[in-house]
Amino acid sequence: MEILKEEPLPPEVPTLVLPNTEDVMKLGDRLDGVRLIILDFPKFTDGRAYTQARLLRERLGYSGELRASGAVFIDQLPFLLRCGFDSFASAERGFGEALAKARTLFSVVYQPTGDGRATANELRLARRSAVAA
Amino acid sequence: MAKNLSGDLQVASANRLVDGLVVYLDDAGRWTPRLDRAALARDRSESAILLERARAEAFTVVDPFLVAVTESDDGTIEPLSLREKIRAAGLTFDAIASEAIRYA
Amino acid sequence: MPDTHFYRYDDYDRALVRERVEQFRDQVRRRIAGELTEEQFKPLRLTNGLYLQLHAYMLRIAIPYGTLSSRQLRKLAEIARKYDRGYGHFTTRQNLQLNWIKLEDAPDALAMLAEVDMHAMQTSGNVIRNVTADHFAGAAVDEIEDPRIWCEIVRQWSTLHPEFSFLPRKFKIAITGSPNDRAAVRVHDIGLRLWRNEQGEVGFEVIVGGGLGRTPMIGKTLRAFLPKDELLAYLEATLRVYNRYGRRDNLYKARIKILVHEIGAEKMREEVEAEYAATRHSALKLAPEAIDAIARQFAPPPLRPKRTRVPEVEALKLENRAFALWLKSNVAPHRVVGHAIVTASLKPAGAPPGDASAVQMEGVADIAEAYSQGEVRVSHEQNLVFPHVAIEALPAVYRALERLGFAEANVGKITDIIACPGLDYCALANARSIPVAQSISTHFASLARQHDIGDLKIKISGCINACGHHHVGHIGILGVDKNGLELYQISLGGDVDFGNTALGAILGPAIEADKVVEAVDALVATYLDARAEGERFVDTYRRIGAQPFKERVYGNP
Repeated sequence: MEILKEEPLPPEVPTLVLPNTEDVMKLGDRLDGVRLIILDFPKFTDGRAYTQARLLRERLGYSGELRASGAVFIDQLPFLLRCGFDSFASAERGFGEALAKARTLFSVVYQPTGDGRATANELRLARRSAVAA
Repeated sequence: MAKNLSGDLQVASANRLVDGLVVYLDDAGRWTPRLDRAALARDRSESAILLERARAEAFTVVDPFLVAVTESDDGTIEPLSLREKIRAAGLTFDAIASEAIRYA
Repeated sequence: MPDTHFYRYDDYDRALVRERVEQFRDQVRRRIAGELTEEQFKPLRLTNGLYLQLHAYMLRIAIPYGTLSSRQLRKLAEIARKYDRGYGHFTTRQNLQLNWIKLEDAPDALAMLAEVDMHAMQTSGNVIRNVTADHFAGAAVDEIEDPRIWCEIVRQWSTLHPEFSFLPRKFKIAITGSPNDRAAVRVHDIGLRLWRNEQGEVGFEVIVGGGLGRTPMIGKTLRAFLPKDELLAYLEATLRVYNRYGRRDNLYKARIKILVHEIGAEKMREEVEAEYAATRHSALKLAPEAIDAIARQFAPPPLRPKRTRVPEVEALKLENRAFALWLKSNVAPHRVVGHAIVTASLKPAGAPPGDASAVQMEGVADIAEAYSQGEVRVSHEQNLVFPHVAIEALPAVYRALERLGFAEANVGKITDIIACPGLDYCALANARSIPVAQSISTHFASLARQHDIGDLKIKISGCINACGHHHVGHIGILGVDKNGLELYQISLGGDVDFGNTALGAILGPAIEADKVVEAVDALVATYLDARAEGERFVDTYRRIGAQPFKERVYGNP
């Protein structure tokens, strides 16, 4: 198993390992000082951790490392990145290479998430006002 | 015509990966669209071996499984279940054929 | 060629569809090379509409809100001819299924589809599926607002949604803009109904947790009135609650209807409202400019009022009884004077319901270009609709449809049968559907008799997953397998009409295939004997109950 991140944190950092049934909105002070949160994908078809990730990033403002572990495969990458994961524990061959490409696999996104990418609608509106100006 | 209806007779089937075509495993371990060429298991232990062989040859097919068949006196094999009859013989009605110019 | 009067892709939409095709091409390559197991690949191909059926792969192509341009329909015909056996099957979810696709060809077929701004994304898998709408949208007399504007907004939001691409189970959304619901919004995971409140504002009634399948349920109203610009905020909140709490331990209990049923509508509402309190203030709130930009593209075609009494139409009516009946059953009023909405029946006597050959699709495209602003709709009753036809063009449209075999005057009648593909094609089915539909349709082929019997909806499913919507048929027929024998269970009294949505009740023990026609005949005879003036089959059933029907079918005990 390989941890894919540009500069992975040393193993002794304050870490929270959460099952995907955990209600992250009720973590309270358990989040204090945490620099690494590991979320679990028991099967790659079980998508609960995507919601956990977005709530942690967008609702609770968590800015530390967020790692996907378990059944983590290449084809989930575009979704994982958009939900705020920035580190991945995957045993799949070619994962690192796929990670490098995943950010540009889709040049267009429709949904506003915490990843800061401009949505198609935002780009359309910007283009329209540029034309109008 | 006498038929062996015991349900002990089995062939191994799957769908071919690249096009979904219905195929059967033959005695040489190749997948063939022809049911009449399928390797026939005659009892439970032969069936287990047949399924094992099918799974070992599954690189080009999807999820092999056993199909219960009957055998008539002349050796003709036919699946027992309607589902497998339809897989073997195709639709039970006439589909529209585009170039038949039925409506042109 | 006329301009389209519905949403046109811009370069963003086009780029995304193209990139998705290339992603899928790589996934197919990895599967064929053995880099992906079938277990890994299956969810990936399903979210691109590709099933493995009994004889081949089946590609389910999305037709968002059932709206097609003639150009798109021609391309579908071309794809059917090039990569399939030259025909396709229009489904109850306004999609088109091609039944004989090769995995190795699928990426090329999808690339060809992308040429006309279409795709097969999210037509299967545990994702938000293709959004369906009233097939008369934009033309119906009773419409408050075109629901397709909102379908398109939902389509974009749901496409490759990063959080909701691995839901507990599939998720179907339908939207209607008319009080007379033609989109069956009470039997969807989420049904949205546009209506005008006392203040004169238009918003959505949000209905959650309906559905057919193994455990049929009528949806509950979670919110009576939702401001339109908060639609996505509310949908995201609902989907988030479902993604968190929907059951994943049992495939058959994973739909949102089970969650709503188990925790109750009240608790569900609380959870969704709590989440919505946060999402409504996010970037999901729709800017008026964003709504307008999409709404403008659905601006109705510039039809000018025309004469409603046309001598040629009146003359043909007297001369040709079939045409007169067709006017009654297949032609609906249009909001612009002198126009009509025409339904082409894909249910000629004895034919597989909903099937069209490439030649027929091209013929329909010709008619749309000549007489219907280049536009065609797919109805959830598996017919095709010309939304904008001048009354003076009706004789020409009728004759053109006759040549295609699509002029049967049977819309809403006993031979306008909904049927799933059944055991002839489907890997999930327990029994055949199409041959049953064919035998009923052949038996009741007489148009005069069909019109005497009146409105009667027969819906046939080949298994409990209910793709043929048997629960909501006036007569529902469900194929079951009993020790290798195909049997058919009959239910009565189902209905999708908005005020009367009801699930059918099982009449009695399942019967053999060759007894189905006889049984339907007995049901019809019971109705004809008992009906009061103006009553439809389902009205009579509601008035007199199941007993007389039961006795006629099964004999006296």
